[in-house]
Amino acid sequence: MRLDVEVGGHTRAFQVERRPDGRFLVTIDDLVHEVDVQQTDVGLSLVFADGRSLEAAASLMAGGEWLVQLPHVDVAVVVDGQRHGRRGTGGPSASGAQRVTAPMPGRVVKVLVAVGDEVTHRQGVVVVEAMKMENELGAPKAGRVIDITVVEGVSVEAGRLLMVIE
Amino acid sequence: MGLGTVAVYSDPDRTALHVRQADEAFRIGTGPASDSYLCIDRIIDVARRSGATYVHPGYGFLAENEDFAQACLDAGLTFIGPSPDAIRRMGSKTGARQVAIAAGVPVVPGTEEPFADTASDEAIAKAAATIGYPLLVKAVSGGGGKGMRTVAGPADLLAAVRTARSEAGSAFGDSAVYLERKILKPRHIEIQLMGDAFGTVIPFVERECSIQRRHQKVVEESPSLALDPATRVAMADCAAAVAKTVGYTNAGTIEFLLDDDGRFYFLEMNTRLQVEHPVTELVTGIDLVHWQLRVAMGERLTIDPAQALTPRGHAIECRIYAEDPDLGFMPSPGLVRALSVPGGPGVRDDRGVSAGFEIPLFYDSMISKLVVWGTDRPQAVARLRRVLDEYRVAGVRTTLPFFRWLVGQPEFSAGAFDTTYLDGLLASRKGQAFVEPSGSDGDDAAIVAAVAAWFRAHQNAAGPAQAADASVWRRAARKDGVR
Repeated sequence: MRLDVEVGGHTRAFQVERRPDGRFLVTIDDLVHEVDVQQTDVGLSLVFADGRSLEAAASLMAGGEWLVQLPHVDVAVVVDGQRHGRRGTGGPSASGAQRVTAPMPGRVVKVLVAVGDEVTHRQGVVVVEAMKMENELGAPKAGRVIDITVVEGVSVEAGRLLMVIE
Repeated sequence: MGLGTVAVYSDPDRTALHVRQADEAFRIGTGPASDSYLCIDRIIDVARRSGATYVHPGYGFLAENEDFAQACLDAGLTFIGPSPDAIRRMGSKTGARQVAIAAGVPVVPGTEEPFADTASDEAIAKAAATIGYPLLVKAVSGGGGKGMRTVAGPADLLAAVRTARSEAGSAFGDSAVYLERKILKPRHIEIQLMGDAFGTVIPFVERECSIQRRHQKVVEESPSLALDPATRVAMADCAAAVAKTVGYTNAGTIEFLLDDDGRFYFLEMNTRLQVEHPVTELVTGIDLVHWQLRVAMGERLTIDPAQALTPRGHAIECRIYAEDPDLGFMPSPGLVRALSVPGGPGVRDDRGVSAGFEIPLFYDSMISKLVVWGTDRPQAVARLRRVLDEYRVAGVRTTLPFFRWLVGQPEFSAGAFDTTYLDGLLASRKGQAFVEPSGSDGDDAAIVAAVAAWFRAHQNAAGPAQAADASVWRRAARKDGVR
């Protein structure tokens, strides 16, 4: 099975096969990893050929990306370009227009930028109040604000488009 | 104690742990708290229908609402908490200040009465000049940083009063504000106490809650590294004096600010059990909720005052939330697919969710309070590091990666922080991720996702993958439920 796997803005071609004994052969750039993978209550237990053991959870999120939770760190992974852009996982190098959407129902407390403003990656652009807390949403990438679709004070549903950055 | 329990729940909380573990459970409405957990009449009705005799308000929603406490009394129920009068007197920030002053307890210099809406600009400016800058404009009914503004000098005063008033009016329905000197780089230290109906008040060893994000506590510990035993006793005496002045019964907490000269000032009182009570239980060995029930039943407090005020070892609590720390701590409610909770000596995990539970977006997104105990602070910190690494919550982003980063900071190890520490640190990072995945982490994650996608594709061919997934999660949930 051939897959395009993107982590941190880098996409690589993977070949995934399961051998008759159940072990997986994962080929990345001609390098073959032999891994014993078992499903567990947490997610997947991996034992590599050199004996290294890793337990990780992999959840397919609403935005289409996989949330891979390693013991120390969470990593967003996109497989075969399956992403709907809800979370702005494209990273600073993503091209094209990026939408900033409300991650949950709430109220727009403050719009921190104006149409035409240049913003940097992760710069706060809008403050949404939800669950008693004010949450500052950051720009999904560096660029220019080309559209703002809400005004301060309005209530928004989860997924509602707030602004577009190009 | 052999007491049966009755839970109330909203629609999205149908499978929450408190419902599953209760002897009886009653639905009281839909997701928004205004249509469920804040409906006093519905909760009283459940108490009546179920034949309940005692009502424990927890530490959210109506826990500090004197109308709810009064409604319980009127319905012939025993409210597990202080009297409605004590809640009312200590719930107003200016009222609480007056009680503290009457009890001879130091307060932060400020205005004794809130400003009337008609107060002239001149009167406000004059009061501010008397107190001195920098100062805080604070809402009388405020909390959690809402309705609060810092004013550096006279030029910003009137605008700050206006915005604080409008924010407080919309958030609390009360636009009254007052002024208070801003203590620079204070520590937040608080004293737990317990009172009975016979006038006994027992103060406990302090909790240090200076690690806060936007005035919300993030880490709490006991004891504080900043307090010597003499200051501890002085602070405890002050806390008990405030409580006695209002005839306080049951569990409560007096919050103080400690300045860098070691002087402390009364800040406010929380007239309920607090989220962070487990750290006190771990260093004193006293079960606070057990005593809440006994006191409510009319028993005398027989806690040894020395045991309550002498810390045995050191305890630290981390509030684990379904929030994405790398997106400015944005709430990330969703389905908890799996949980793996660390254990061992000195580890306590008070959690409200289980595998298979969908964290509702209507409420505070707390998953768990992870608490560790050690014979001293270094041992507690080492233990905290281990359990943070072992704790796994699959399916939602959590604050665990942030805590793993925090415990590695030199200020945390040294205990050298104040209430401005975390906000300053977060501002200086400008959204930089707390734990950046290394190259090999990226490779691991890619392999995990590729194999997970393989399983998904092949289980789809053989049958519905979701069903196969769900049964794993259900098994995990059952295992978790019977543990």
